[in-house]
Amino acid sequence: MGLMVIIVLLFLLGINFQNSLVYIVCFWLIALLVINIFYTYRNLSGLTIKAISAEPCFAGEKMVLELEVTRPVKQRKSAIYFGWKNEDLVELNLQEEQSTRIKLSHSSDKRGRFTPPRIDVFTRFPTGLNTAWSYASMDIQGIVYPEPIEKSQHSDKQSLDDETSEGKEIAGGASDFAGTREYQAGDSPKHIHWGQYAKTGDLYTKSFVDYESHDLWLDWQSLNISGTESRLSHLSAMILAFHEAQKQFGLRIPGKEILPDKGEAHKVRCLTALALYGLPQAEASYVG
Amino acid sequence: MLANHYAISQQVTYRGMVWLLAAQLVVMLPFAFYLPIWLIPVMLISSYWRFRVLKGESAQPKLFVRLLVVALGIAGVLLSGMTLLSLDTMVSLLLLGFAFKSLEAVRQRDALVVVFIGFFLVAISFLFSQSIPAGAYGVISLIILTGALIANQQSPAQQISRYATRSSLKMASMMLFQCLPLMVLVFIFMPRFSPLWSIPSFESHAKTGITDSMAPGDIANLSKSDELAFRASFEGRVPQSDELYWRGLVLNNFDGKSWQQLPDEYDTSELKHQLLYNMAWNDARIEIQGDPFKYEVIYEKTGQPWLFTLTPTTKVDGKTIKFGDYRVMSRGDIQSPFMMNAVSYPDSKRDLELSDYARNLALQLPASGDEKTREFARVLRESSLSNADYVEKVLNRFTDQSYFYTLRPPLLGDKDTIDKFLFETQKGFCSHYSGSFVFMMRAAGIPARIVVGYLGGEWSPDGEYLSVRQYDAHAWAEVWLEGEGWRRVDPTSRVAPSRVEGGLEAAVEYEGSFLEGNPFSARNFKWLDGIRKKMDSIQYGWRRWILGYDSESQAGLLKSVLDKMSSIPLAALVGALFLGIFLLWFVMLGLGRRQNYEAYEHQLYRKFCKRLEKHGVLREPQQTPYEFALIASKKLPSRAAAIQDFSSLYQQLCYVPRNGAGRDEPHQKMRRLLREIS
Repeated sequence: MGLMVIIVLLFLLGINFQNSLVYIVCFWLIALLVINIFYTYRNLSGLTIKAISAEPCFAGEKMVLELEVTRPVKQRKSAIYFGWKNEDLVELNLQEEQSTRIKLSHSSDKRGRFTPPRIDVFTRFPTGLNTAWSYASMDIQGIVYPEPIEKSQHSDKQSLDDETSEGKEIAGGASDFAGTREYQAGDSPKHIHWGQYAKTGDLYTKSFVDYESHDLWLDWQSLNISGTESRLSHLSAMILAFHEAQKQFGLRIPGKEILPDKGEAHKVRCLTALALYGLPQAEASYVG
Repeated sequence: MLANHYAISQQVTYRGMVWLLAAQLVVMLPFAFYLPIWLIPVMLISSYWRFRVLKGESAQPKLFVRLLVVALGIAGVLLSGMTLLSLDTMVSLLLLGFAFKSLEAVRQRDALVVVFIGFFLVAISFLFSQSIPAGAYGVISLIILTGALIANQQSPAQQISRYATRSSLKMASMMLFQCLPLMVLVFIFMPRFSPLWSIPSFESHAKTGITDSMAPGDIANLSKSDELAFRASFEGRVPQSDELYWRGLVLNNFDGKSWQQLPDEYDTSELKHQLLYNMAWNDARIEIQGDPFKYEVIYEKTGQPWLFTLTPTTKVDGKTIKFGDYRVMSRGDIQSPFMMNAVSYPDSKRDLELSDYARNLALQLPASGDEKTREFARVLRESSLSNADYVEKVLNRFTDQSYFYTLRPPLLGDKDTIDKFLFETQKGFCSHYSGSFVFMMRAAGIPARIVVGYLGGEWSPDGEYLSVRQYDAHAWAEVWLEGEGWRRVDPTSRVAPSRVEGGLEAAVEYEGSFLEGNPFSARNFKWLDGIRKKMDSIQYGWRRWILGYDSESQAGLLKSVLDKMSSIPLAALVGALFLGIFLLWFVMLGLGRRQNYEAYEHQLYRKFCKRLEKHGVLREPQQTPYEFALIASKKLPSRAAAIQDFSSLYQQLCYVPRNGAGRDEPHQKMRRLLREIS
């Protein structure tokens, strides 16, 4: 725009001074403006964008999208922007390398499947005089878990502390010291109670127990909270808390029951179940 | 704008700023030659200041400080003795603004503004000089400005690369170079308009060339300069050297010491009015005879309106005025090389009837002074049969007595200069001879006047054009005779015929005063003649085809094309040319190419397999490159080494991780090996 003003001024200057060289500068700038369109277009053209993953996130957090961008062999790319308005924006250069991965984050507002809006891809390289832009719609979905909000419960039924104390002991465990017993051949020397041995001269073996959490269930029905989303948020918070405490737990929500288990995969399964609760079945879901 | 919605960093980067400052210096440098010299340190200091800010050594100046600096700058410009509305003032202010703009350039948008003003200033510099070196320097400035644009778009990550500077320069040159065809096309076909409004003039420009009055000694000063005055090329009939009297000004008024154009001193625009009023051109006053000279002249910039033509010029282009004393003037001062076509009929009779105004002018003499000459003239006229006889007698006196042609004449003092010259010193050059001749004519009652201009010129080696230089400046006389009208008389030619035949250099050869005081002139070095003439002809082309390309040349060009084809095919041709340029760009930039996304090493390996297939070794799909190389080198023992090398390079590229960089070299090696294999 600014350059257009300069070009018009130069043309007037050329007319009034009848100066060929001023005309030449003026026309050269016009040509530069025109060829710049080609250059900017070239800088954008030929990119291959592949969606690699969409990391699950909690509602209200940012979902991270990973893309792989590849340039044509013979064209280097500079200063290409990927992103959304008022959201994350990433600048990309492909000089020596032919492809690279970028991570973009987009805010999510509600739980469920999240399809990132089409990505604006644009560049102003080389001169910044105009912009080449395009949209990239990625065929990828991410899961947005319900926002974890722990609700105070009127019932005292399901507090974390109660559950553990009621757990049934499982002999032969490894967590808690349960007492000593006589040494039997095959006991690990690590478990020999050397203190006892020093006092009595007999070998005793320390025995340990694990507690079997007696089927710790997160149950939709037993929640004393009103509102679907609030329940889901609470369950989400509980799952995180249990996972943090390395508890074994199961999840029961209408239409779905996940048997007690623990670990990262279990957490993801449970949270996904919450995220997709009540939503129509997706054709395919990507869970990262 | 983009930046409003996207989280783009809008700050000018370090490297971008360095580029901007460099571009600024490059753009401002040529103005050092034309504008007040103090602007240069001001610009340097502001660049240095910004550079310190950039490096964090000083703080960004506050608004108050910036305003103060700007105010001081403006005051400085106004106090430099330039008038408010002259071009110099405006350009100075623009330069100051340009220099200070970088002080507050923080955001990308400011950087763009700096570059845009830079583009503008490059064009402005051409108002001051349009020489070839100035043009070349302008191109360099454009490249660096475009480079600064590019550098400001590169991301910081990219700028760290040690190729960054080179790559933005290369890209800028590439872009501007590829622009050329479009620029040339627009240059040729864009309609040219006549000036829309009157423009402020340059005041600081020295006026060069012939001035509007003549005192003894003036023309000798010009003789010391080998600067070009104008070039002319002829169509058809070519004049002989004694016909090359280039009329410029007519001097009518003698005050006892120097000659002026009119009794009162006028500035040039008043002079034009006076002449238009009293001595307008009139076709009826001229009786055309003989064959014409048709010629085209390209005048150098003089800052004055005088044009030099062969007498009498009957036809000129627009932008010029013919007057009744047979001179031609430009409508404005000549601030840039100026091209004109003219037709002259040298054998015509002029002013068979003399107007009273012209007669009075041509008979004017000071009330007193030079009494000896007056007396001598009266006596000589009485002993002559006619006016024409008297003219001949006066001229013969120059031949018979011991007059010398010299560029080092003795001084004549302030009074009775003609007496002193004619009867005592008898040494002088054209202004002495023409002045005293006209005085003697007038003293005898014969209308006469001095004409100032150039005599002769130097033909280019191929005879294509004639270069007239300042040392060709000359003054001669015209007398008006009953029944004949104005007759050109050159008294100098009687004293020094070689001045007419061989130019000034020949006329003063004996005393060696040619281009005295200008010892480094290329003219003084004979062995440089070839190069000088070559350069001269390049200069001529530049003047003729680039600087002189105006609406008339455009019309001429279009006409010559149009004669061959009607306007519709022409429009189609121009359209096709534009399309062709776009197509060319499309191909040059590789936009039409089918994109190949496969990594280059894989493409090369594919070629490798195809090539070996031709030699009869087919790669089975399940064979690894390693196995295949073994088999192939066994079957083609002569190429075994190349095959093994190629294959191992390929495997290295595929399996040894490297972060992108440094692939070019193995790729080149692979290509070389591939050539060896075939």
